[in-house]
Amino acid sequence: MKDRLAAALKSSRADYTEIRVEHTWSTAVTFRGARLESATANEDLGGFVRALVRGCGWGIAAFTSLDRLPAMVARAGELSRAVRLDEPIARAPVAPAVTDALLDLDGDVRGISLAEKKRLLEGYNGEMLAVPGVVDTTAGYHDEVTEYWYANSEGTLLYELRPEVTLSGTAIARRNGTIEKGLESVGLRRGWNAVHDHAAGFREAARRAAALLEAPTVKGGTYPVILDNEMAGVFIHEAFGHLSEADFVYENQQARDMMTLGRRFGRPVLNVGDHGAAPGLRGTLPFDDEGTPTQDTPLIKEGVLVGRLHSRETAAKLGERPTGNARAISYRHPPIVRMTNTYIANGQESVADLIGDIKLGVYACSAFGGQTLLENFSFTAAYGHMVRDGKIAELVKDVVLAGNLFQTLDRIERIANDFQWNQMGGGCGKGGQFPLPVTEGAPHVRIEAALVGGDVPA
Amino acid sequence: MIEQVIKAAGARGEGADALWHRVERTSVSFESGRLKACGVSEEAGLNLRILKDGRVGIAGTTADRPGDLLERAVASAALGESVPLVFPSTTRLPNTTTFSAAAAEASLDRLTAFGTELVDRLSREGCQVNVGIERETIETRFLNTAGAQAAYPATAVSVGVDLARFAGDDVLMVYDVYSGSDLPGPEDLDALVASIDRRYDPALRVVDPPDGSLPVVFTPSGWGAVLLPLEQALSGKAVLQGVSPLADKVGQRLFDERFSIVDDPLAPGRPASRPVDDEGVASKTLPLIADGVVRHFVYDLETAARAKAISTGHGVRGTFSKPRIGYSNLVIGPTQTGKGEEGRGKGQASLGGGLLGGIENGLVVDDLIGVGQGNVMSGAFSHPVALAYRIQNSEVTGRVKDAAVAGNVYELLKRIAGFGDDGRWMGNRWAPSLLLEGVSVARR
Repeated sequence: MKDRLAAALKSSRADYTEIRVEHTWSTAVTFRGARLESATANEDLGGFVRALVRGCGWGIAAFTSLDRLPAMVARAGELSRAVRLDEPIARAPVAPAVTDALLDLDGDVRGISLAEKKRLLEGYNGEMLAVPGVVDTTAGYHDEVTEYWYANSEGTLLYELRPEVTLSGTAIARRNGTIEKGLESVGLRRGWNAVHDHAAGFREAARRAAALLEAPTVKGGTYPVILDNEMAGVFIHEAFGHLSEADFVYENQQARDMMTLGRRFGRPVLNVGDHGAAPGLRGTLPFDDEGTPTQDTPLIKEGVLVGRLHSRETAAKLGERPTGNARAISYRHPPIVRMTNTYIANGQESVADLIGDIKLGVYACSAFGGQTLLENFSFTAAYGHMVRDGKIAELVKDVVLAGNLFQTLDRIERIANDFQWNQMGGGCGKGGQFPLPVTEGAPHVRIEAALVGGDVPA
Repeated sequence: MIEQVIKAAGARGEGADALWHRVERTSVSFESGRLKACGVSEEAGLNLRILKDGRVGIAGTTADRPGDLLERAVASAALGESVPLVFPSTTRLPNTTTFSAAAAEASLDRLTAFGTELVDRLSREGCQVNVGIERETIETRFLNTAGAQAAYPATAVSVGVDLARFAGDDVLMVYDVYSGSDLPGPEDLDALVASIDRRYDPALRVVDPPDGSLPVVFTPSGWGAVLLPLEQALSGKAVLQGVSPLADKVGQRLFDERFSIVDDPLAPGRPASRPVDDEGVASKTLPLIADGVVRHFVYDLETAARAKAISTGHGVRGTFSKPRIGYSNLVIGPTQTGKGEEGRGKGQASLGGGLLGGIENGLVVDDLIGVGQGNVMSGAFSHPVALAYRIQNSEVTGRVKDAAVAGNVYELLKRIAGFGDDGRWMGNRWAPSLLLEGVSVARR
């Protein structure tokens, strides 16, 4: 393969050419209720070429037939030539790397039979079905190993093995007209050794769904809000992470003004970063899809904006350094600026300290999901508790946090010292590329005041 | 390749079917008003389903040769549960337009010209304009061991535009997209420009949000949160699993008597239209809700077999997964006849589709944040607005930020205060604006 890539690069008439080839073996098992929905093994093979002719735009070609590689290299060059630009596209320098970067497969999933994978998931699904009140479940197991080649005309030549496993469960509890759900999700850049011992998580999700049948809807309003580790992680990803992606600002002066380095975004307790090289996490890889090594990139330091996430193009445009955040979900797509493992760093206090002096507040736990539209965000907790007189009180449901991110970041007033990485599956969507494996990490955080929807008072 | 695969699979099991797709895509993108990148992609994939010893197995590949595809399908079937699956035999296909030669043959220059024109017409001071043009030509082949076969070409064109304006920490984004199997005509481009203009201009002024229980107009693009619970509940799968609130409600009037939803796979010129579904079942138009009464659920072959129902022709499949239930085009409106062609070229209507008259204090919702999160099936929704306008004394007075709307779809749709005259396609959905009363609006 390396020889084929070298020959194809050599044939290119463009000034810059890069090629990716990905060969993925994956298996997936799904249960719906007590029934197996499907158990499949798939093979996905394809390539991607991106070319740049001086003074022109990007020419891009993606394909499933590798016999077409030389033709697609030529086609990408032609497409680049078709885009005349006044202002040329520059690429910030990255030292060429020639390496085999083989991640630990941690129990190669390709050596495990489909029947064993089915048995594992059947057990987890059974944990959920055994909980009284649960009327339906879905449970999923997915694994893959990708053989990955990347080569560019500057001399970089990478060969990688990229493992991934995810487990997911949804328990639906129903009584009369009321339907509630509980979710469990695990996602790691590891292998078969990492998928055992998750029964408790599935059981807990199902118990929560059943418990929510009894729980009242949170009364809408503005409260002091404690976010648990998972919610705080999703919050920083959704509400801040996307704005720190430099493709959002690099072509827009007004957006750049909004995201000027040195601007205060929060109080001195707030430290935020993105760490693409943290071992074993879902967003972790040795190199991004432009051949740039991944790294730990500080974004907010003591409340002040100090960095952003870059591709080579956005880094060159803004006179900054590439951060290894140019990622593509597969050979079907070009790399764009994405997060990896985004985090809020540890604070000093205990979780009890954060809660202790709240008279009436909301404790938002475990995330169903989140979305940002520029400065507005919305994210949904799987469940919550009221906080009353410094103590965690009754379970409540339909906890939806919504707000303006600038205001809300600035209202993060206290941060606990119990940092942990989320190890959820799922993924991030942007520019038609979903799901990209990412994760988040955070300690518990306290927001001085946030709007909690749910039962919005009429 | 598909013939050999089906022949070999037929020899190994009781039956099999397969779907082969080949998609060629050309895309052109303009960033900040300038042409930035051009791309092509070619992807082919084969999805095989085998019935062996009464059990179903699935496998897929994008590789040029089938390789171990059949073995993987057989291994998948060995674990599968028994399904009384019956493959449809010969298929007589209805007529529908899915292919446009003009779209298939359009040159890169022709596609680029749409972007140049739109950038030119939409550019304005202090505002970033992005345009993305995509053209796909798709070959689909279906074959099963019961004798059904189908092959049809299709084209799909989309032209998406978005405008972004930053003023301090205020961000305004207005987005729209043309989609069709044909290239956009001058009237389609006019409609796109008009749609952006009529939402952008009044958004420049930011006004205080109202709050309380208010009349709210959901535009064709603002409907998502209202429709999503119904889409989930009308799936035969949700009914089979016992989680659909509509499961035992067929024949009952649950909604306003002017409210209908039709699934129409035969709407001419729509990218989601198809003469046959991905399991060889001929397409037909299916009323799901008619005049407020629940009529039909949608089924694929396997769900139908389990539920002792008949497939409604709603099996969709990708290269790697087993067929699942999917809608084609959803036509929503005050009548059951609101069909595709009526939407074409009607872009000049006013914001809110003429429903603002008589509203003293209310909201126009064009886009919401977080649709699909939370407990959708229950019908409850609560979302902050992404793009919304205040109505005061029958007129739009400006854009509203920092507001959220909430309600329950099953309650709200019992009475619909009005349908707009601005029905149009938004992707695979045709709908006019909709006026609902008593929607909770909260500000923060």
